[in-house]
Amino acid sequence: MSTARIGENLNRRDAEDKLRGRTQFTIDHFPRRTLHAALKRADVAAGRITAIDISAALALKGVRAIIFADDAPGIEGIGVYDRRLFASDYIRYYGEPIAAVAAESLNIAREAADLIKVTVEPLQPVVTMREALEPDARLVHPAWASYAQTEPGTRGRNVAWEASVVRGDTDAAFAREDVTVVESSFTVGRQNQAYMEPRVCVAEFKDGRYTLETSTQVPWSVRKVTAEILEVPESAVRVTVPAVGGAFGGKFETAVEPFAALLAKKTGRPVRIANTRQEEMLTAPARDNAEIKIRSAIDPDGRIVGREATVLMDAGAYSGETGFLTSMTSYTLGGVYELESVRLVSQAIYTNTPPTGAFRSCNGAYNSFALERHTQEICRTIGMDLMEFKKLNVVRDGSPSAIGQRNDGNILGPLLDRIDALSAASATSRRHTVVDGRLPDGRLFGEATVVGGWFVFVGPSASTVNLNPDGSVTVITSGVEIGSGSMMQSIPQIVSHTLGVDVSAVNVLAADTDASGYDVGVGGGRTTVSLGGASTAACEEVKKKMLAVAADYLEAAVEDLEFVDGAATVKGAPGIRMTVAKIAAHAQTTTGPLSGSGSFNKRGTVRASGCVAGHMVDGLEMPIYAAHNCEIAVDPDTGHIEVLAYRTVQDVGKAINPKAINGQIQGGIIQGLGYAIHEEITIADDGRIEQEGFETYRLPLATDSLPVEIELFEDAPSYGPFGVKGAGEIPIMSVGAAVACALASATGKDVQQLPLTPPRVQRILSNTEEPLSLEHISSDWRDNVLANASELEAEVLGAANLKLR
Amino acid sequence: MILKVSVNDDDYVLDISPSRSLAEVLREDIGLTGTKLACGEGFCGSCTVLLNGTPAASCLVPAAATGGRKVETVESLAPDDSDLSDLQQALLIEDAVQCGMCFPGILMTLTALLKENPAPTETAIRSALVANTCRCTGYERIVDAVLALANKEQA
Repeated sequence: MSTARIGENLNRRDAEDKLRGRTQFTIDHFPRRTLHAALKRADVAAGRITAIDISAALALKGVRAIIFADDAPGIEGIGVYDRRLFASDYIRYYGEPIAAVAAESLNIAREAADLIKVTVEPLQPVVTMREALEPDARLVHPAWASYAQTEPGTRGRNVAWEASVVRGDTDAAFAREDVTVVESSFTVGRQNQAYMEPRVCVAEFKDGRYTLETSTQVPWSVRKVTAEILEVPESAVRVTVPAVGGAFGGKFETAVEPFAALLAKKTGRPVRIANTRQEEMLTAPARDNAEIKIRSAIDPDGRIVGREATVLMDAGAYSGETGFLTSMTSYTLGGVYELESVRLVSQAIYTNTPPTGAFRSCNGAYNSFALERHTQEICRTIGMDLMEFKKLNVVRDGSPSAIGQRNDGNILGPLLDRIDALSAASATSRRHTVVDGRLPDGRLFGEATVVGGWFVFVGPSASTVNLNPDGSVTVITSGVEIGSGSMMQSIPQIVSHTLGVDVSAVNVLAADTDASGYDVGVGGGRTTVSLGGASTAACEEVKKKMLAVAADYLEAAVEDLEFVDGAATVKGAPGIRMTVAKIAAHAQTTTGPLSGSGSFNKRGTVRASGCVAGHMVDGLEMPIYAAHNCEIAVDPDTGHIEVLAYRTVQDVGKAINPKAINGQIQGGIIQGLGYAIHEEITIADDGRIEQEGFETYRLPLATDSLPVEIELFEDAPSYGPFGVKGAGEIPIMSVGAAVACALASATGKDVQQLPLTPPRVQRILSNTEEPLSLEHISSDWRDNVLANASELEAEVLGAANLKLR
Repeated sequence: MILKVSVNDDDYVLDISPSRSLAEVLREDIGLTGTKLACGEGFCGSCTVLLNGTPAASCLVPAAATGGRKVETVESLAPDDSDLSDLQQALLIEDAVQCGMCFPGILMTLTALLKENPAPTETAIRSALVANTCRCTGYERIVDAVLALANKEQA
């Protein structure tokens, strides 16, 4: 008997099959008589469709069905219902689906898609956010005002969604005579998730229902959105998810599933649709490009008495996840430092570019960059030591967040102490070899320590645990294994520990919306917290039932029993016991099989009244933080950055499996180095993404990576099971910040953009990089807000005034 | 056209269209889906197989060009229920795998490397791995696993 312990480094159970090449991902599924689907995609970024001629395509031998806008009447959206499956009247981005073909082979399907003739009246695309915000800009959605929205919030013209925060008297803070005002501007490009398994779905229509096997993070959301688009009841859609070949947030939205569903119904055959890598590069919901302006008022003690920020997030052609993610700014920009007064606004902007979406740490990856570079600029201006400034200003126990929630526990201060100590003691440091800012080989040396904050996106989860007659258990949830190990390491470990059964006797069913209860999906660092919590609750119910069975069998009172080493045991008489397997078998023949079900949701943290508008997220449910330190070498001739050392101390609550967490941190930080240094997406004037594959989109390779020095910070407050917090989301968050701050420290220059590709670094070094001014974002915060700023402020100033400390 | 090819020591006679890649034929016609197709452009290396012992991106190799040659895929490393190869075992012990899509290709690249040089240096391991992209792991556990094998070899 080997019951898992919390904190034990158990290896993941799916690794052996993955190493043998046996694991079947959705992409490996080719049912008999499958038809293959291909999409006809728009080859302009903006235009009006005047005619679609499918006659030549239909005539091609082997073509079984062609569908387009009329076949998919429904409208979908997360906050705003602004998207249909196919472009019907307007084309809004390069690559937008116009029609879908099912054929006997993929080649025939592609050939038929090419034969579909679309007549388009081209329009001048709105490519940049600056263009989109011009007063006379063409509207990406001329009918925006008629769209339904799911939440109260402000939007208008090319502003798809706005979220804002107003707390305290910011005007008074900036008007103080003793403050120093510092203003900074930043911009970042997009980042493609570049999961190895493209988005793919195999659909069948049987017994009057749609069955979708798909590569997604959100089975229940795929069920809902597919039903909305097809205008059928949600119960008519079943979603199952085998192992997923990477996701990183990019599979948090419904994508190819409705095409396959419609074609399966129309043909009566299984239909398989898989994006090509080119389609993924051109249309994946990349991390959005963004523009950020921050202004701060700093008092003579170095305290932040006022802060204003405007964050423009490029949603692309539809609001989708990016509209939803506008809320995150309050936490990623407003949740790290104590702010006596604060005004933040984030807008998702419509452009004629592919829709953006969620990517690990979402807007935190760039808001952290902006925040920490701004912090560096503040310290340069007021002449204060950076570490002293950070330690003075980071949130601590009782600090109000930007939205007025009280911070629970001291985390960031101790994280800074720990990263300081880790960095000072590290054997990999090169700082002792530096003379006059240069390494012995002549390269410039830079170092930085940064902090970042995120929150675990908790939300509802359900779990059922069946105790089988042989003493094994089956855990039934909609949790998806996307590679992070949450379903293949953490959940079995938690269930084994809670029930006292051998970890090898815990089986986890692959996600199936017909079998399990609702789940928000895998993302935001929530799985181990929410599904772990739901599974723990399910186990407690099973335990209660087991005790009743054992009490009856052992002729003891339930109160006199306890679980010891996988057996119900009479307290004080360890010899009198009944093993889980025995209980299971006995129950089977007496009371009937035992099972339990449990659910979990956020606690519902209270926020200050009136200070938030347009938020689709209730509150900063479970904050989580990390401190990063890096050392870099900069080649003054080529502009190439080499990362010499990278260190992190990460708040994890309680580490269920430290080795698994370290794997998430190592992987997340290397992804972050790609974001910081060389993953660059550029959008041409015609609205087309210029990087169509891995030849031009430069992902981190084994020659770019280095071992990250990792320490886990445990025991910060958490209401997750065993005190756990999600660990997979936050590692990437502060990498852009760390590298940019190290570059600014190495060169003494202003670093305002990511990624820091060699040409950009060269321009920074030679003072030929255009300074970023972001003239379309006003220094007067009120000018940037679509809602009535004075109304937002009046509401807050009338509410109870929140005092710091 | 008719293709005669040896895959993992089994002989196949297949009727294929000459335009199809080896990766497609392995996955769809033979059913060896261990070989993954992630980019289809020869950059990510997830489709790497051994062609007469040399690593090749099977997405770029026309199946028609493999007639009479010996193809080895990830499924050949520990056929049926046999023990994992030393390399597979080392990666298992390091808990290196995450989503796992890139590992079949990485295994083939490293199997060829270790055959040629059973005790590669860290630099040699990283250089060999440049042919394979992994988006999840940040590579270090893969490097560590091979270094552990190299150290065992030298001991």
